Amino acid sequence: MVSRLLPQSPLRRKEILAAYLFLLPTLIGSAVFIVGPMFAALGLSVVQWNLLTPPQFAGLANYQKLLSDTRIDDIYLTTFKIALATMAIKLLLGLVLAVLLDQKLHRWLSGFFRLSFFFPYVVSVTAVALMWSFLMNKDLGLVNYLLGQIGIERIPWLNSSAWSPVAVVITDVWKELGFYVIVFLGGLQSIPSEFYDAAQVDGANRWQIFSRVTLPLLSPTILFLSVIGMIGSVQIFAQPQILTDGGPGDATRTIVMYIYEQGFRFFDMGYASTIALSLFVVIFILTLLQFRLSRRWVFYQ
Amino acid sequence: MTTSVYQDHVSATGAHVARKPWPWAKIASIVLLLVCAVIMIAPFLWIMQAAFSDAAAAYVLPPRLFPSEPTLANFQAVFDLVPYGSFILNSLFVATTITIGQLITCSMGAYAFARLEFPGKRILFVVLLATLMIPLQVTIVPQFILMRQAGLYNTHAAIILPALVSPFGIFLLRQYFMTIPTELEDAARIDGAGYFTIFWRIIVPLSAPALTTLGIVCFVYWWNEYFIPLIMINSPELQLLPVGLTLLRGRYSAGAVGNVAAGVTMAVIPVLIIFLFFQRHIIKSIATTGLKG
Repeated sequence: MVSRLLPQSPLRRKEILAAYLFLLPTLIGSAVFIVGPMFAALGLSVVQWNLLTPPQFAGLANYQKLLSDTRIDDIYLTTFKIALATMAIKLLLGLVLAVLLDQKLHRWLSGFFRLSFFFPYVVSVTAVALMWSFLMNKDLGLVNYLLGQIGIERIPWLNSSAWSPVAVVITDVWKELGFYVIVFLGGLQSIPSEFYDAAQVDGANRWQIFSRVTLPLLSPTILFLSVIGMIGSVQIFAQPQILTDGGPGDATRTIVMYIYEQGFRFFDMGYASTIALSLFVVIFILTLLQFRLSRRWVFYQ
Repeated sequence: MTTSVYQDHVSATGAHVARKPWPWAKIASIVLLLVCAVIMIAPFLWIMQAAFSDAAAAYVLPPRLFPSEPTLANFQAVFDLVPYGSFILNSLFVATTITIGQLITCSMGAYAFARLEFPGKRILFVVLLATLMIPLQVTIVPQFILMRQAGLYNTHAAIILPALVSPFGIFLLRQYFMTIPTELEDAARIDGAGYFTIFWRIIVPLSAPALTTLGIVCFVYWWNEYFIPLIMINSPELQLLPVGLTLLRGRYSAGAVGNVAAGVTMAVIPVLIIFLFFQRHIIKSIATTGLKG
């Protein structure tokens, strides 16, 4: 093979040159738009800059601000609450629906279910959030009308600090659930039937089969979904932005909305970068934690 | 709820092939699935009836499937209020350009990582994978400043250029390229084919499934992207559809329901048609990769 030739040989040099030419667009692109900005963000976090006046070195002022900012504690808390709620519901409901779908159904019926569950996932998040902002209108919305039919009083979905996070969670679950169902379904269908046969021979009942065979074999899928689900949910932005604009007060303001507000409404480039870096650290720690904990419950075939 | 799944296995044990009782568990599970399907579909039906209703009737309760006096006024209003046609064209242009660009840059990069030996290969690959960990929010502020300095703020280039590179796409394609047997390439090399010929004539044609997957995922992602155009684009006539839709609400969200509903309907219908045609492929692509630009 070419690769085993001496480094000095012209063939080898040709291969190296070819490799770097193939990689050229990627290398330039990632240097300019990912790696460069990553370090620039670190640099920005120690300056004060509103884009109008020249940047000024500010030492650790932005980090001090981060630590003493009373809003950011609440905003992080709101973000975690929303992220945890939507993830737990999506995992649980996604698994239940996938198990229900994983049975002999008429081709059309199962096709119809897949289609209707998955379609909201490919529709833009703006369209979804706008739709739900009407459906959850307090006086005229369909949701409160239907709840009224079973005797539940009108809920101020979008203008109370207790309910607006719930509205965000509902909208997000409704949009993303289909992805979880389809991925779980793929996981279920990749479990070899021998495992079920063996369990049957041992006289296991259906619940035992589910909890002792299906769930452990599905645990890598659960880990995959909880890792990417967590990373995505912590960065939730469009749903609260469109539904409630973070309100009332900061009741639904998520951390990415806060970065957007500081950076692109107040043009505080330094502080926006500092918050973004804190988010990076948070995501990094959460991901690490999930993989650490996964050693205890994820089972690889 | 989980019981119905294994029915067939259970009934397969017995010698008694007596007539099965009514499969209650199965019926219950289908009813539950139907309820969920209705919850997923109903909002779309509601928004469509609102789009065809006049202002007074959009919110009428109890809800109806068809407005009593259907009107197209809302659709007309959408085009009067905002440059809706431009939104669609802008989104098409940006999503298509990024998709084509990513297919080119990612397949080239993936080929180098899958097939060529060069100094720094390992470290470059690790660094590229590590960039997947960096959240967009960290890089977007410097990118915004960069685009302003370069005079690209409020142009489509500000969205397209950073999106032309995708470490995720490279990783996806590299995994696929590694599964292609090398015999064909060896034969081609003996015939004197260069690296580019091998890449273009052998690797790319053999990778159609992986390239389609990346193409679908990339296009859907950028067709729906909201955060980046919100930051990089300022003029309505340059805006992309997802942000454009929100402009229909007007200041203080006071826009008429029917107008927004008509805008949303027009945004959803083409997606629905394409989805119905290619649903198998779309679902498979997105389910195997997750939706990542």
